[in-house]
Amino acid sequence: MLSRVAESMYWLSRNIERAETLARMLDVNLNRTMDRYSASSGRAQKVWQSVLSIIGMTADLSAVSARETAQTAFEYCTFSTETRTSILSCIRIARQNALGVRAELSTEVWEAINGLYLFVEAQSPRSIAREGPSSFLRSVRNTTQAIGGVIDATVTHDDAWNFLQIGRFLERSTITSRIVQGHDPSDPSAAELQRLLEMCCASEPFAKVRHLSMEPTEVLDFVLLNAQFPRSVRFCVEEIDAALHRISETVRSTFSNEAERVLGRLLPVLEFVQIEEIVAEGSANFALRLSERLLALGAAVEASYFPRVPVA
Amino acid sequence: MESMQLLLERYGAAGYFDEYADADGKPRRHYAALARTLAATDWADFRHRVELVNSVLLQRGVTFTVYADARGTERIMPFDLIPRIIPSGEWEMISAGVAQRVRALNAFVHDVYHEQRILREHRVPYDLVYSSRFYCREMVELDVPRDVYIHVSGIDLIRGDDGKYYVLEDNLRTPSGISYVLENRDALKRSFPQLFESYQPRAVDDYPQRLRNALRLAAPAHVENPTIVLLTPGIYNSAYFEHAMLARRMGAELVEGQDLIVRDNVVYMKTTKGLARVDVIYRRIDDEFIDPLYFRPDSTLGAAGLMNAYRAGNVNLANAIGTGVADDKAIYPYVPEMIDFYFSEQPILANVPTYLCNDEVQRRHVLAHLDELVVKNTNQSGGYGMLMGPYATPAERARFAEAIESNPREFIAQPVIPLSCHPTIVGDEILPRHIDLRPYVLYSEEVEVPPAALTRVALQEGSLVVNSSQGGGTKDTWVMDN
Repeated sequence: MLSRVAESMYWLSRNIERAETLARMLDVNLNRTMDRYSASSGRAQKVWQSVLSIIGMTADLSAVSARETAQTAFEYCTFSTETRTSILSCIRIARQNALGVRAELSTEVWEAINGLYLFVEAQSPRSIAREGPSSFLRSVRNTTQAIGGVIDATVTHDDAWNFLQIGRFLERSTITSRIVQGHDPSDPSAAELQRLLEMCCASEPFAKVRHLSMEPTEVLDFVLLNAQFPRSVRFCVEEIDAALHRISETVRSTFSNEAERVLGRLLPVLEFVQIEEIVAEGSANFALRLSERLLALGAAVEASYFPRVPVA
Repeated sequence: MESMQLLLERYGAAGYFDEYADADGKPRRHYAALARTLAATDWADFRHRVELVNSVLLQRGVTFTVYADARGTERIMPFDLIPRIIPSGEWEMISAGVAQRVRALNAFVHDVYHEQRILREHRVPYDLVYSSRFYCREMVELDVPRDVYIHVSGIDLIRGDDGKYYVLEDNLRTPSGISYVLENRDALKRSFPQLFESYQPRAVDDYPQRLRNALRLAAPAHVENPTIVLLTPGIYNSAYFEHAMLARRMGAELVEGQDLIVRDNVVYMKTTKGLARVDVIYRRIDDEFIDPLYFRPDSTLGAAGLMNAYRAGNVNLANAIGTGVADDKAIYPYVPEMIDFYFSEQPILANVPTYLCNDEVQRRHVLAHLDELVVKNTNQSGGYGMLMGPYATPAERARFAEAIESNPREFIAQPVIPLSCHPTIVGDEILPRHIDLRPYVLYSEEVEVPPAALTRVALQEGSLVVNSSQGGGTKDTWVMDN
């Protein structure tokens, strides 16, 4: 397939995934700051600042009054056009990329993305204030998740789909890793662990496998290393590895390009490391190294498959 | 609640030839069943369907980009739900007429770039050809596969007061609009199935396969399974939606200039598995952007070296370079000559009388009658660069008079042709609006005219300009079987 098309597929699904993450992170934290932390406590401000840093935003909330923290963070993450990491920006980027590969996408996928774009463009802070942010965030989350399903069900599982997979799982593993990075192990309260699980969309799946207890090590083990939970870093990295080897038509656990090499080193770590080692090292520190590897992986995918060649 | 019956009874032809109503205001025979179905429809229900269709079209992104609007706004082309019906006998005449025309125009292009018989015998003046902006000297003595230059064309027809069809314009470079034909039919079938109960119009949805077949036959002689690509200027082009749709339905790769690279006179596209050879390029970019080494050096839409690969016969372009010399508005008056010269046939479809400002006598006539004529710039299309004499202000006329004097080759003039009218939904009424017809013609081994034609409608009252860029809409066009 065309390199340009592969690149657009990758960014398209990364940005859809990112929009979904943003919607969920905002919803989870808005919800919790409504009753758990009184709005005027410094606690809410700290939470929002950490949310912004997880999604890679540099905005400084310390200048904002405590009462307005949530609203400011919300508006910034939703409609800001200054950053590429707001819901609006992500959906615009996704749609822009979809437009460029319209001939390769199924009609259903295109219509779903275009519909989401038209919906989000039609919103304003005022319209959201009327209905409450939750209904807006829910729509974004439902639609972005539905797009993932429509992609799987209507796009041929060829290279185009493989690049969509890589974008989706690279984004997902990155965000899970950064959530763990932003988690403070010195606060082992059930509420804080619950927030972590919810931000990873892992609360109910975790409760299913560990219905009696909520030990910090088990929570971290679940979101980092679980082999079956589709948002754990290990699961995502497995998916990326499979997609890369389907594209290169080579055997897994060998490598034919830089992306596969970076991944080939990372995957066994996630498969064989024990959670106790991670806790001993410090989960934030481990997650930081993990995030760096994932960043290198993204760069290697770009260099291997859509190199920036100067136009002759 | 108002019924559509009342609206239809109130419908009065506007003093022009009306496609739907006869001289007594009654529906013509081929519209009678449609009139009955519409009359039985509740107006509120109908309005609801109109909104439904428009929201579907927007969601699907059946849009075009308006250049005059700096933000590059995407708009849907207004779609009128009342279909235009063409009886089979009329269509046979139309398709034979446009096929004859395209064969003659193709022969003309070949002749111009080879023996120039028609010029040497003074049937078409040399200077008009050589002064054409679209004449391309790189094409001289170049042979193209099967001698086909005009693989895809769209011929604009109008119907005058006398009920006869006339050719208004030939579009031989990169005509667009076929996607509206396909989408309109689809939208109408979904939103208003009752309309199809008494009619079975000929299907249009096999156009992409027909096009693919024509492109396959356009491949260089030695290639058995050609790789076909559609070259688009990209997502900001006003017809991008159409490019994506045709590529998808043909199963062809949709490429931009940046995806192509030329090595040793062979065109390749850059893929995740390396370079892949390209054999046929259905290009939807103009000649001047094809290759920065030959034409506009600032163009990034084409590929450097493409023209050399084309001249070496390693890749074929559809349409060929330089076909614009035949749809130059100043060449248009000579098409009947071409038909006579190459085939000794009578033209099946007549031209609109045309004055060439290049000719001194005709120019004087044009300047003296600017308030009666339509003046067109030979270098522009899409309804841009036009003067509608009777409706223009004296200042506009003066501006055109000056432009004609200083650059006569660039202007032609025609009498105002009263385009036929068709019932059209306007607000809460059904009113007569002017329409035209663009059949598309494919040329591979033979000329074929798929029953997929575009009807454009001028939505403004009294307006005779149907171009989408000028506020035109479209209708579904039903070509009937016997």
